Amino acid sequence: MKKGLVVLAAMCLLFLSGFVSAQADTIKIGLMGPMTGPWASEGQEMKQVLDLLAADLNAKGGVLGKKVEVIADDDGGDPRTAALAAQRLATQGIVAVIGTYGSSVTEATQNIYDESKIIQIANGSTAIRLTEKGLKYFFRTCPRDDEQGRVAVQTMAKLGFKNVAILHDNTTYAKGLADEAKGLLESQGTKIVFFDALTPGERDYTAILTKLKGANPDVVFFTGYYPEAGLLLRQKKEMNWNVPFIGGDATNNPDLVKIAGKDAAQGFYFLSAPLPKDLPSPEAKSFLDEFKKKYGSTPNSIYAVLAGDGFRVITAAMQATQSTDVDKLAAYLHTKLKDFAGLTGKISFDEKGDRVGEVYRVYKVDAEGNFILQP
Amino acid sequence: MEEFFQQLTNGLAVGGIYALIALGYTMVYGVLKLINFAHGDLFTIGSYLGLTLLTSLALTDRLGPAAGIAVLALMVMGLVALVGALLERMAYRPLRQSPRLSAVVSALGASIFFSNTVMLIYGARFQVYPQGILPKTAIELFGLYIPLVRVLILGSSVVMMVALYTFIQRTKIGTAIRAAAIDQDAARLMGIDVNRVILLVFLIGPALGGAAGLMVGLHYGQINFTMGWVYGLKAFTAAILGGIGNIPGAMVGGLLLGVIEALGAAYLSVAWKDAIAFGVLIFILIVRPTGLLGERVAEKV
Repeated sequence: MKKGLVVLAAMCLLFLSGFVSAQADTIKIGLMGPMTGPWASEGQEMKQVLDLLAADLNAKGGVLGKKVEVIADDDGGDPRTAALAAQRLATQGIVAVIGTYGSSVTEATQNIYDESKIIQIANGSTAIRLTEKGLKYFFRTCPRDDEQGRVAVQTMAKLGFKNVAILHDNTTYAKGLADEAKGLLESQGTKIVFFDALTPGERDYTAILTKLKGANPDVVFFTGYYPEAGLLLRQKKEMNWNVPFIGGDATNNPDLVKIAGKDAAQGFYFLSAPLPKDLPSPEAKSFLDEFKKKYGSTPNSIYAVLAGDGFRVITAAMQATQSTDVDKLAAYLHTKLKDFAGLTGKISFDEKGDRVGEVYRVYKVDAEGNFILQP
Repeated sequence: MEEFFQQLTNGLAVGGIYALIALGYTMVYGVLKLINFAHGDLFTIGSYLGLTLLTSLALTDRLGPAAGIAVLALMVMGLVALVGALLERMAYRPLRQSPRLSAVVSALGASIFFSNTVMLIYGARFQVYPQGILPKTAIELFGLYIPLVRVLILGSSVVMMVALYTFIQRTKIGTAIRAAAIDQDAARLMGIDVNRVILLVFLIGPALGGAAGLMVGLHYGQINFTMGWVYGLKAFTAAILGGIGNIPGAMVGGLLLGVIEALGAAYLSVAWKDAIAFGVLIFILIVRPTGLLGERVAEKV
């Protein structure tokens, strides 16, 4: 019995000392993403991107003479799970956290990180109000919905649509984008013939489509996510209804075409930051090659690449300030970082933590299911 | 008016699937007084097994669409029934003499176990059924547009439900099931092997749930490991709406729930669709606590 206790104590000590030394010679960066749940493919790709970038950086000697360690946690694409994940991450001595995808999920974690003095760089959270709260340590590498709304309205005007139906899914992001577009369209005198929300996660949207059809719109602007968009397109086709659909940037995922089928997805427009394959910079090209070498294919989602930009920006800030002090890092990101060569283009942040500059493009799905950048 | 009938058919097609899953809840509850929360996940397993068998065996290429899908359905139903039997043996039978709460917790645990197993095997991403297996023809009638697939789904649901009802009401085994539902101890005294009855219930319910999973996969195409939760909740609601423990009640409840949802979405608000459906459930439970077709059972003292 006594012997057992001694062994146990020794093991505890060993474990503890390992833990302490590990803490001393690595810089920890958190990743909070939807590893499970409806957006799991986004989260898993975010992790692949960060693992690759961290391995690269460590091979080059790391930051400030230390290795970088990525600690991933799962937010399940759900605000409640995310709050728990954020609390777990906040106790692990991380300097900064990358993530997450989905504005309502991000919103649930913002204050937790802010109170723990951890820098958060969101990658797919485009709702406007996230950066209007004046949180000092919050940044995002993705653009905001007011810009997306502006591009959406421009696109619809250019294509000559007069009666617009808007459908969202009541998430922070989708509702925000829908409201933004509605306001802009109405100020231009465009008629909104339908404005309502669906429940995400269902299979059958024929009831909603039948009602939409009754409103007789020229175009439907769906601001929700790709799993629902795919089903909507598929069931619309089955109903033999040929109205054009435009989606927000959350519909940008190749799985959309898989779910809808090529014939139903053809002609679908969506707004998005440029796809990984359309990224122009040399940094992006070499990153994509490496990604392909390691995982067999290029990343599907631009949000995963935007998470990579968050990682690159924060490690660059550490290098430039020679510090892991969050106040110094935040000040550097807000004011000093200008035109950083990110994977998705040049990156600078304004005083709110928003990325500066125009990022959105218009894409259209062709008959083969490819996403074609529109001029 | 046209839109009304279109919504009615939309609702019936969804309701047919709810009803088929609700049968599993109702049968288990009828016999064991247990809400089998893992039933929704058996449904998920059905649609994943369907996808695997469909793509690996290429049944529809070898046997043609109709026979291929029939064989596929039988295989899926058989395999899911097996999973259901295992579930009963491992998670519920050891707890049968324990307080009812233990079995409920065990059911929730089994549900989490199943959905995570599916995620680990197939991954967390959406899986997609190959397109174009079912004919894309549609019936156009007085301005209504009804894809043939929906008619087939509703039709086969109703056939399975009626077959089950006849089986329970007309056969000797069915009588044994009904007897065990009323009083397990008395049934045992009458020489009924209650364990076998319960096993049978756990073969039939999951088989129907698996069939529903296959239908959803074939028709909607997109499946993922969490979908059992939403469908399970809706089917559970349908079972309660119709009167839990009552087989025709599950059918009526399922179809009704589908129609309420569709009409609620059409005439009130799309966003409030679920709230309307559950609101109706609460209303019915207030005015008629046993559900629509449930009978008031006198408590023995």
